[in-house]
Amino acid sequence: MNGSSILRFARLIGAALITGLLAAPAHAELHVDITQGVVQPIPIAIPDFIGTAPQSAQIANVVRSDLSSSGLFRPLDPKSFIEQVRDINSPNFNNWRVINAQALVTGQATLQPDGQLRVDFRLWDVFGGTEMDNRGITAAPESWRRIAHIIADRIYERITGEKGYFDSRVVFISESGPALKRRKRLAIMDQDGANPFFLTSGDYLVLTPRFDPTQQTIAYMSYVSGKPRVYLFNLETAKYEVLGTFSNMTFSPRFSPDGNKVVMSLEQNGNSDIYVMDLRTRSSVRLTSDPSIDTSPSFSPDGTQITFESDRGGSQQIYVMNADGSNPHRISFGAGKNGTPVWSPRGDLIAFTKQAGGTFRIGVMHPDGSGEHLLTDGWADEGPTWAPNGRVLMFTRGGRGGLGAQIWSVDITGRNERHVLSNASDPAWSPLIQQ
Amino acid sequence: MSNARSLTRNRISSATGAGAARSPFGVIGAVSLHVLIVASALFTWTQRFEIPEPSDVVPVELVTVGAKTNIAPTVREMPKKVDTEEPKQDIQPPPQPEEKAEPAPSEPIIQKKPPPALPKPRTPEPQKKRTAEDEFNNILGTLTAPQKASPNAKVAPRTTKGIGSMNAATADLEAYLKSLMYQCWSPPAAAPHPEKLIVDVRVFLNPDGSVARPPQLLADSSDPFVRAAGETAIRAIYVCAPYKLPADRYADWREITMRFDPRDAAGIQ
Repeated sequence: MNGSSILRFARLIGAALITGLLAAPAHAELHVDITQGVVQPIPIAIPDFIGTAPQSAQIANVVRSDLSSSGLFRPLDPKSFIEQVRDINSPNFNNWRVINAQALVTGQATLQPDGQLRVDFRLWDVFGGTEMDNRGITAAPESWRRIAHIIADRIYERITGEKGYFDSRVVFISESGPALKRRKRLAIMDQDGANPFFLTSGDYLVLTPRFDPTQQTIAYMSYVSGKPRVYLFNLETAKYEVLGTFSNMTFSPRFSPDGNKVVMSLEQNGNSDIYVMDLRTRSSVRLTSDPSIDTSPSFSPDGTQITFESDRGGSQQIYVMNADGSNPHRISFGAGKNGTPVWSPRGDLIAFTKQAGGTFRIGVMHPDGSGEHLLTDGWADEGPTWAPNGRVLMFTRGGRGGLGAQIWSVDITGRNERHVLSNASDPAWSPLIQQ
Repeated sequence: MSNARSLTRNRISSATGAGAARSPFGVIGAVSLHVLIVASALFTWTQRFEIPEPSDVVPVELVTVGAKTNIAPTVREMPKKVDTEEPKQDIQPPPQPEEKAEPAPSEPIIQKKPPPALPKPRTPEPQKKRTAEDEFNNILGTLTAPQKASPNAKVAPRTTKGIGSMNAATADLEAYLKSLMYQCWSPPAAAPHPEKLIVDVRVFLNPDGSVARPPQLLADSSDPFVRAAGETAIRAIYVCAPYKLPADRYADWREITMRFDPRDAAGIQ
């Protein structure tokens, strides 16, 4: 390379550099990529509702309790409030900013001349000083708890983007009496444990209750006359019927998302297979025919697939197949046994019980088996059931040292584990109650 | 290259004995001439190619620290965000950066009063003036702590003048804002399809670091999940305000676009 070529090369580089500099904007906007944060509950102020109705304060109390139980909200202590709400439409936001509230709920409950209870609420963005949501609800005064749950659901949905789950119920098995002579009765309660009552007398053992998506019916297994069968219980009429005329034991029922079918296990000569029954025609179709125990079926929310547990591979594991029984394939691998799969109403996860190292724990995984994630760290946690929004799970936690079973709940992130009810097991969460 | 050629030529000439006929001064002169030529060529070469790379303008090391390392573990160790002194909820009234230092025990009156000329309980004026930049530099210093000895920490401000556009010049601002938002942002936890919840928010700041006007969500807010994700970002922007950024570089941070990406921020994947 001689001197002139070096010079030419240097000029070329210089020209390129100058062109590059000229092409750059004189002043570009600063961009910052935020990829890390800390999940914290949002501080929300919910002062007692104003108005003449005697339930005003109680309604706000239930709303606070619902939101707090989700773990995504932190209702501020009313003692910290420096403003007393007199008009639900014109809060002074400075008074709420100063106590670090990020959202504010104002509400009013009044008894109408016709005896109905009218409740109005407003949800405010404290930083922006703008209204985020509002609604008025009229109902019988004795339904004040449901009104509170509906308001909590609205707030939850507006702030998280996700449907709420507070206006829902849970069926479960109530357990009483000594361990060797335990009485198990079908019972139902609001999701927060309020308003519990028994659906069966306790004369017969009942197990695995499951809610129909239309809410009027519950499927469960009972040992009436010593023979384990799947029954349907109508909540409105309080009547029950045996599902199908199978001569053998049927168990582990679960409704299809449209409520028109029940998928369950049928046992014959020590071999359990999965059947689906159309509730309108009462005709049933066999979906699996493997010489192994296939049980705990659960539909995907779009009804096209079914997850179930089977020991066909040598140990109890989770499988997924099409709703007609085709293409069964294993999705759970790794250590231990996995069972009781339940497909999330959101569709993105399957909850299950993992048995490994002498413990039973609740976990979730994607329907393709990826992203396995254990949520609880108990020693006898089993039988998960999904909240209607697919965000929270309830499950049974075995009691230690002769203590009875308990119902607990946990968020799908594994946070916010909470005790719901003692001396109870086998919870099944309902969909949101129709309004 | 010319060096190699001259060496070859010497070897050939001595092998053939051609050099023996010449005077020793000629050989020495030729060798030294070659050395001179080679040296001057090398000197010219390096100088020519140094010009386009002004090493004092592009602080390579600092860029790497700011943009790539990001420092999640270091961030946790940072001293708690400096906001404790500021009310951080006042957004609309733009100035008043140092109004009211401590949260009142319980009297609402303090908030209502338009603080006339209250005797300032602590921090005299001159010290306050330095705090914004000091804190910024302190936090930045903590972020780059492992490279404490590096002179690049000082180079950063000068690069603003050197290049004038956004890249190396604002790496320190980016690093600082990232570390702040880590503490202020509560990402949408375990929402479905987090890859669809990446939102851009435009932030408008006053010279005192307070939020000048409501942050603007640059996303389709008709989707309730996207809207909720955007609102987590906007809340974080308010929670972090006022921002202690160097006043002499206001032009750099007057408007900021922040991208909030919740994919790895929280929840299950």
